Amino acid sequence: MSRSAASTLLIPADCPPSAHCHAWSVRLPDGADAAQLARAFDDAARTWGEADAGRLPRLWTEHVPVASGSPTAQRRLRSELYRPVHAEGGGLRAVLLQYADGPCDLVLVAHRSRFDARSLRSMADVVTGDASRDRFDLKEASAVAPDSEALKGWREADYCGRVEWAVGDGAAGYRTGIVAVPLHGTQADVLATVAVAVGLVLSRYENQDTPVLGALAGFPERPVGALGAFDAGALLALDMSGARSAVELVAEAGRILGGDGGWCDRTRYAELVAEAGGRVLAGVLGDALEAQGGSYLPCQTALFPLTAVPTRTGDGALQLTVHYQIKDVDEDSATRFARHVARVYEQLSAADEELAPADVELLDEAERQQMVALGRPVKSLDWRPDRIDEVFAAQAAAHPTALALTCEEQSLTYAEMNERADRFAAALRANGVEAGERVGVCLERSLDLVVTMLAVLKADAVYVPMDPAYPADRLAYTAEDAALRVVVTELADFPGGERLRRIRPDELEAYDGGAIDGAGVRRSPEEAAYIIYTSGSTGRPKGVVVPHRNVVALLAATREDFRLGADDTWTLFHSSAFDFSVWEIWGPLLTGARLVVVPYWVSRSPEEFHELLVRERVTVLNQTPSAFSQLMEADRHRADRLVVRLVVFGGEPLDTRALRTWFDQYPETRCRLVNMFGITETTVHVTAQTVTRREAMEGSRSVGPAMPGWYLYVLDERGRPVPCGVPGEIYVGGEGVALEYLGRPELTAQRFVEDPFTGGRMYRSGDRGRLRPDGRLEHLGRLDTQVKVRGFRIELDEIRNVLLDDPSVTAAAVVLGGDPVKDAAGVRIDAYVVLEAGDTEAVRRRAAKVLPEYMLPTTVTALTALPLTANGKLDARKLPEPAAPVALPGSAAPADRAVPTAETGTNGPAEGDLEVALAAVWETVLGVPVTPDDNFFELGGNSLYAVRVAAAMRDRGLPALPMRELYLNPTVSGLARVLNGGGQA
Amino acid sequence: MTMRLSGKTAVITGAARGLGRASALAFAREGADLVLLDIAQDLSGVPYPLGSASQLEYTAQLCRELGVSVLARQTDVREMPEVETAVATAVERFGRIDVLVNNAGIAAPSGKAAHEIDEDEWQLMIDVDLSGAWRTIRAVGGLMAEQRSGSIVNVASTAGLVGYRHFAGYVAAKHGLVGLTKAAALDYAPRKVRVNALCPGSVRDDSQVEGRMLSEIARSLDVPVSEHEETFVQAQPMNALIEPDDIASAAVWLASDESRQVTGSVLTVDGGFTAR
Repeated sequence: MSRSAASTLLIPADCPPSAHCHAWSVRLPDGADAAQLARAFDDAARTWGEADAGRLPRLWTEHVPVASGSPTAQRRLRSELYRPVHAEGGGLRAVLLQYADGPCDLVLVAHRSRFDARSLRSMADVVTGDASRDRFDLKEASAVAPDSEALKGWREADYCGRVEWAVGDGAAGYRTGIVAVPLHGTQADVLATVAVAVGLVLSRYENQDTPVLGALAGFPERPVGALGAFDAGALLALDMSGARSAVELVAEAGRILGGDGGWCDRTRYAELVAEAGGRVLAGVLGDALEAQGGSYLPCQTALFPLTAVPTRTGDGALQLTVHYQIKDVDEDSATRFARHVARVYEQLSAADEELAPADVELLDEAERQQMVALGRPVKSLDWRPDRIDEVFAAQAAAHPTALALTCEEQSLTYAEMNERADRFAAALRANGVEAGERVGVCLERSLDLVVTMLAVLKADAVYVPMDPAYPADRLAYTAEDAALRVVVTELADFPGGERLRRIRPDELEAYDGGAIDGAGVRRSPEEAAYIIYTSGSTGRPKGVVVPHRNVVALLAATREDFRLGADDTWTLFHSSAFDFSVWEIWGPLLTGARLVVVPYWVSRSPEEFHELLVRERVTVLNQTPSAFSQLMEADRHRADRLVVRLVVFGGEPLDTRALRTWFDQYPETRCRLVNMFGITETTVHVTAQTVTRREAMEGSRSVGPAMPGWYLYVLDERGRPVPCGVPGEIYVGGEGVALEYLGRPELTAQRFVEDPFTGGRMYRSGDRGRLRPDGRLEHLGRLDTQVKVRGFRIELDEIRNVLLDDPSVTAAAVVLGGDPVKDAAGVRIDAYVVLEAGDTEAVRRRAAKVLPEYMLPTTVTALTALPLTANGKLDARKLPEPAAPVALPGSAAPADRAVPTAETGTNGPAEGDLEVALAAVWETVLGVPVTPDDNFFELGGNSLYAVRVAAAMRDRGLPALPMRELYLNPTVSGLARVLNGGGQA
Repeated sequence: MTMRLSGKTAVITGAARGLGRASALAFAREGADLVLLDIAQDLSGVPYPLGSASQLEYTAQLCRELGVSVLARQTDVREMPEVETAVATAVERFGRIDVLVNNAGIAAPSGKAAHEIDEDEWQLMIDVDLSGAWRTIRAVGGLMAEQRSGSIVNVASTAGLVGYRHFAGYVAAKHGLVGLTKAAALDYAPRKVRVNALCPGSVRDDSQVEGRMLSEIARSLDVPVSEHEETFVQAQPMNALIEPDDIASAAVWLASDESRQVTGSVLTVDGGFTAR
């Protein structure tokens, strides 16, 4: 017998011995003569056994002193079926269990490299006298090597990584669970049909075109009556792209399982898996189908995380058992998988020639309904649509003397703010602003910014917020795209032609034509209130038009749960061009609370921001996780405690594990943390997940269920609900859905679509997520190339398009560098360009004219050609390490910002010493050599690194570093001069 | 319900009665398949009856009723070939050995001063109580090292930690067993095989497990059993004798993966006797 048989089997090398063992047991009637059975076995074993093994396998007869039907007896049998046997020394164990009430079980356990399933059954027949031992003999097995076409198919298939759609138990080792479901459908080609069904389900779960399955199949030329290992491994790469019909796929699977194209042995399997850098998640075993008259265990440990085995029940009905590895898959997910395979099996059985894989449904109607309902919150929203300015006016009427707005030393009461906004609104009207007209608001974070926004609404116009720090080209683009006639701004050189009217807030303030008529008829709450521009994959930002009612609904959805009220103090921390600020501004102002405007430079300095939070007794704080981590760091170094009672995270994924130290200082009972997932197009927030120590300990990625009034679906590319736990695209419906993309009817039609399940409109987010069985959402990032860097939503293709607009660039690729999990500050945007002429620095300088600072590539590397995959796509893995960071002088610090003057002590160390010390700190933080004239931002510095520099300086006893000084004086020598009291460089 | 030793195969020596039976039953309750060894006959030179074949079979039967597989073999730990055969059979049947409990031991001949012990008495005591444990380790140590897992539990005694008047041979053998434990623990630690000693104090003679050690010690010292019991109840700060199950539970823990970082340790179950 061939010793190489073991290697013909496709059993992953890292599997334990039990993965190689299978077992067959038959129940013998009362009165079986144990002694005679033992003799029969001994006689037969002399034929099967091996002379060189020394010992022949024997029949172990054991008395089990309990009744055959008892749980103890069942456990006894089970432990025998699951006891592994070594390949050496016969590769076989035979045990006869004699129960107290008469019956016996004959149990044969064999190593697959020695005996196949049919051999096991034949041996049992010989021992029980149902067959003559003379009919059987050991035979050699040999496997045919795969042909080049098969190999090519295997190489190009899609392998899997970690299982995302199930919950594994990392401590489970190789423990295996089993679930079974009935199979309805064809009785022919059962194994091939099951294989295609498994592949199809896998392709949906894993979003793969060509899923790959392992299989153990029998040699078609197996000699009848032979004993031995006549199984061979096959690998099935199934093309689910639509190029082949389901019927063709089944036929092809049948050919491969029959050995056409050759077999895949474990050595080749190991090579393929290593080459692919992934793994084979699922496999099929075919040898249980013929096992009648006894009980067959095809594997003691699942060979693949999901090992699908078609079997027949006692009455001959088909069923599917799935042996699953608990370390990867939980029981509920395995059951769901089995059910989906069975449902696909049924459709494949009834398939006509045309049925495409994509047409097959995984979910039945009941599960579809269940998934549609799963993304809806239990609570409904009790509210009435209204206009933002009218809700504000009601608050002003209710508590006119309460403080509404604070910025540094200035404050306004609700009555004062209302009156001032009325005056601004009248001034806007006097300047020709009409109902429904879009008005630009391009102001620093200040009282005027908030008052102006309210005034635009009171004038029944639509505000378009713009960050004054954006490059002129970007501002010009927005003004043009929104067809602005009026912009309220302090920027004298706000770009745009003569037709664009620029109005300063003090001009609005000075208007003496009286207040706007508050009782005048205004557009309905269903009409636009504001337009926020977001990054677009077309290379151009697009304006999201959001009506009044959505903002009012947002507050209605959260007010009760978050206990929002007049006692709260909020901050405006974020840029008004970022929709998080919509929540920050209208959250307090529509609930009677106070809003503290955080000046830009304070928002850049965690230390100063912490001081502000303490001083103003802020209770509701909204932060991106990266900003919050800086605040946590600042909090550790300060004695003052915050009185914040609610922190809302938004804007980027939250690493909950980092919050454990926060809970040590601020327990959940004192300060509630809520992680919210949201999209500009659905009005700031969609879901809410309260984060407690439990979530932090588990590293939970849940963003919670949808808020009341909002709902979500996770759908596949064809708009069908995907099963629980399976990633798909997030769709959001309900009260938050925006009206449209301004002036983009086609894009609007693509993204704002009809809800096919319950009617109404829903937004197709382009975000990847999955619904957990409890209705909570896990957000898995973008489907396309959009990424989040330090809270900013960035479309890498938009950057790429800008680079390609440069005449000297013939090809470009933009990728995200660094590891966001390890180090949020180290995340880079790496650009690669193929240049016709010029150098990378010029490319970057030209890009800086169009792109805001946060979108500017950290590195630009010139290549002679971009590495491509066989399919002609960019092969990002083959891109070289980026060139050293390049940056433009001054690109990080907007020159037009109003900046307070330096106010540092004069008792610092000598300038030269300080320079050396500063350079050392920069080198440590940035990891590059630093000379006195190097620009911090040219060396790859960013706001997060700036905070680290400040912390490192504090740790080394160097002078305190106000953030604005670093931005204004970004060289070592300049900064040293300022810190020594030498004034601005 | 997952049992703490399911899927494991344990070899227990001296399994016919006493702590051996108590341990076998405790292991069976936790799902371990068992290889039960005992000399199962009297030994000349030992002044009291040892375990019998009938007692060994009874222990096996009680365990089988709990739903585990049991191989019972009459084996004298003084004879290396017998030990080797027993281990080979166990491996053939079960494919692996996960646990070895060296429980076989004798308490007498004792009851005299060190210089009064004769050559044969000394040799017998060392041969059973110390060398017997070494022989089984010799037979399974390589196997466990190859498996890269295993737990060896040497049932020593408080006599492995302190002296007892007129028990020089027993005390020397049990001290030796503690020493063997520590050295072997270091030998096998790189292969994830653990070796620990379990030191029972004075254990009650229990009728269910048919233990008789306490009576035999009393007899060696020529004092009435009740007086001996009383002496030990007072000597053990918990004011009670140790029950066989107290020892068996400790053995289960040392055998299980719950103690996976415990090796070379000496676990006393003596009601505080050696804490003084």
